[in-house]
Amino acid sequence: MLRSILTGSSVLLMSTALAGMAHADNTYGPFPVTVDGYKGDKTNSVSYSGQVARHVLSDSLKKLAGKGDGGSNAKDLHAQMLLYFEGSKDDLPVVSHKGKDGFAVKQASLNKISKGKNMSGKFYDGAMPAWPGGMTGKQAVLHMIKQASMAKGGFDPNTGYDYPQLISKFALGAMSYNQAVDNYLDEKLRADKKPNNKPYKKGAHYTGKEHSWDEAFGYFGAAAHSLSLSAGDNIKVAKMKDISISDANKDGVVDLKSEMVFGNAYYAASFDKSGKTEYMPTIVNAFLDGRKLITSAKGKALTDKQRAQLQAYAATIATNWEKVLAEAVFKYAGSVYKDIKAITSAKNDADKAKAYRKYGKHWGELKGFSMALQSGKSNLGKTAVELNKLIGYGPPTLDNTYVTGVSADGNFKKDRRRSWSDYQLHMLKVQKLMVDAFGVKARVNDATGDLAKLAKEMDKDMNAETD
Amino acid sequence: MDILDQFYFLFADFVEPKKRIFVGYLLLSIVIAFSWLMFIKRFTISNALARIFDGKIFFSRSAIADYKIFAINRVISSIISPLLVTQLTIATGIYFALHNQDFIPSGYYSDVSKTAVVAMFSVALFIVDDFTKYLIHRWMHRMPLLWAIHKIHHSAETLTPVTVYRVHPLEGVLYATRSAVAQAVALSVFFFLFGNSVSLATVVGVNVLVFVFHVTGSNLRHSHIDISYWPWLEHIFISPSQHQLHHSVAEEHFDKNFGAALAVWDWLFGSLHLSEKDQDRNLVFGLDASERTSATDLRTMYLTPFVEIADIVRNRFRRVRANVAAALTAHRRKGSQFRAKARTVFGKL
Repeated sequence: MLRSILTGSSVLLMSTALAGMAHADNTYGPFPVTVDGYKGDKTNSVSYSGQVARHVLSDSLKKLAGKGDGGSNAKDLHAQMLLYFEGSKDDLPVVSHKGKDGFAVKQASLNKISKGKNMSGKFYDGAMPAWPGGMTGKQAVLHMIKQASMAKGGFDPNTGYDYPQLISKFALGAMSYNQAVDNYLDEKLRADKKPNNKPYKKGAHYTGKEHSWDEAFGYFGAAAHSLSLSAGDNIKVAKMKDISISDANKDGVVDLKSEMVFGNAYYAASFDKSGKTEYMPTIVNAFLDGRKLITSAKGKALTDKQRAQLQAYAATIATNWEKVLAEAVFKYAGSVYKDIKAITSAKNDADKAKAYRKYGKHWGELKGFSMALQSGKSNLGKTAVELNKLIGYGPPTLDNTYVTGVSADGNFKKDRRRSWSDYQLHMLKVQKLMVDAFGVKARVNDATGDLAKLAKEMDKDMNAETD
Repeated sequence: MDILDQFYFLFADFVEPKKRIFVGYLLLSIVIAFSWLMFIKRFTISNALARIFDGKIFFSRSAIADYKIFAINRVISSIISPLLVTQLTIATGIYFALHNQDFIPSGYYSDVSKTAVVAMFSVALFIVDDFTKYLIHRWMHRMPLLWAIHKIHHSAETLTPVTVYRVHPLEGVLYATRSAVAQAVALSVFFFLFGNSVSLATVVGVNVLVFVFHVTGSNLRHSHIDISYWPWLEHIFISPSQHQLHHSVAEEHFDKNFGAALAVWDWLFGSLHLSEKDQDRNLVFGLDASERTSATDLRTMYLTPFVEIADIVRNRFRRVRANVAAALTAHRRKGSQFRAKARTVFGKL
């Protein structure tokens, strides 16, 4: 009897210990401090609060972009938006993730997450030919911010621009994706940059490589425990639907620094929900494996072999991340296609106006994501040229005119027309381009999906009966 | 592949309701044939059975060749089929192209009820499919290049349901492509007009109209049971007798009854021939000797079309070359006449 109790309890103990390990294995952090000679009291070397602050800045900026009343509050709103984009000496309230009843959020202001952060310093500033006016990425977003402050509710029916969508989706690429894949997972993986045998900066409790890697993870936007959640649950975390899923440490509040799913990670999970892709687990696993590899070096400089392995993880992350953005372009091209159907078949003006507003929103997401896709490390070359040609500077508006450029006084020019059918064809071609160039698999809102399904059912073969 | 897999691979069409020789359709054909002989032709039971399962037909050298071709074509088709253009590729192309016109926007009729769309689509697909079958079949008989291929099917001297597979692989390619184009046209146009409510009304996975065609004895078209319809009905649907007449060697039956299920195309384009009284006693199937093919020799059947096609192309080329040479000579002659004239004119100056 005693023996069986002993055996039973040791099995229980073992399984509890294993379960605990498995949990820790699945979570991004904590990881031990490995900096040689570190004297401080920190025990966890993981830190990416700056990136979380930037997600919150970006999401807050999106909220503000929809608060314009059509002109009278433009000046104030513009200034307020710039505080979130360019940063502020004073602490700023969190606008986007304020929490709600039954979903308490730990941090109510930006400084509680990370002090002195901005978006502008980390925003892609290379050429952005997708936006009219021959601007850089940063100039384009500043242009959008200015226009947003003057639009009513963030939407300008004259151009079809939905600024909250344009700004936020563009930022997912121009800030997060760009910083991660073009900086932290690229340059900073070189042997001479941020080496692992030195702290990231003087006095830091994390090494150069540890922190570079963590920053990239932070930009992706997954929660530390995302890997143990299904795609559906990760979406619920992002949408603040169920605190029991978000609150991993069960302290009753959601820590934005580790228990929230932001932007890119949310989209990865949303495509995985189709069951056809595994972007979220693939990317987070690569981050986790990379972090474990760096930790295993115990504060020593990484060998060439270790760095090569790390670069392989980085390549997995970059490729899959790019696919997530391409999937989003695919999805919203499909939405725009459907919206045009709704506009052209609307029974009355009210239905038409409603359909047009939805179309503007989806077009903003399409355009924003297409610009995000062009903000990464790799030059998309011909694909980008084709994509920009198909989507255009602006969508066909209700009188079929569309934005063709920016005049000298900074206003949009609309001197050409495009028919609805023609633009629908462009959307079909955008979807085809995403399949051909990036091999997207989830294909949400596939405009020819049902056609393909039925065509497959009606198989033909060479022995087709003859007479 | 073990022996069972190979067996299944060869005979899969017999258990596939999408195929005409599906065992269920064959059984129904026997029932129809039996009823016809018993109740219309007044045969006794034993005579009817003896007539249906006539060993002289099913084990004729021509029928045995059919069975061999069936197996060989199965293998060839499994290799070539994946290389053929799919209806999806064509349908997507047409669907894209339809957006280039502005008269009707995509999904313009998407509020039409699903039942109506499904009914219209099933009928349209059947009609487009049947019409393209008629058209290709007519070309097969009228164009020497295609007849070189199609005559393999007509070399059969006895008809059994398996004769439907007695075709040269090149004809298989042509028919599969036709099928892909026909389906693609119907699919893309319907999707463009009616949106996602398009689908096919099916029974056991087959278009309901094709199913009706098969359960009403499509297999008897290639058989010795000459079921005929009332003359008025033979203007609408091709009866087994009418198709048997299409296989006749008699000159007056040449190039008649190209239709598959519908006779209206033949009626419309002047190739309809109604069934004849007691035709089973008078009809001889096959080709005359001038056609340089064989009812039984597989090598001849598979290779002759290539030889004939090469001959036709070579002859055409020779004719073109001769015409060009004649035209050049004429041109030169004209040129020298012109020069001579010019010399006389300018010479005077």
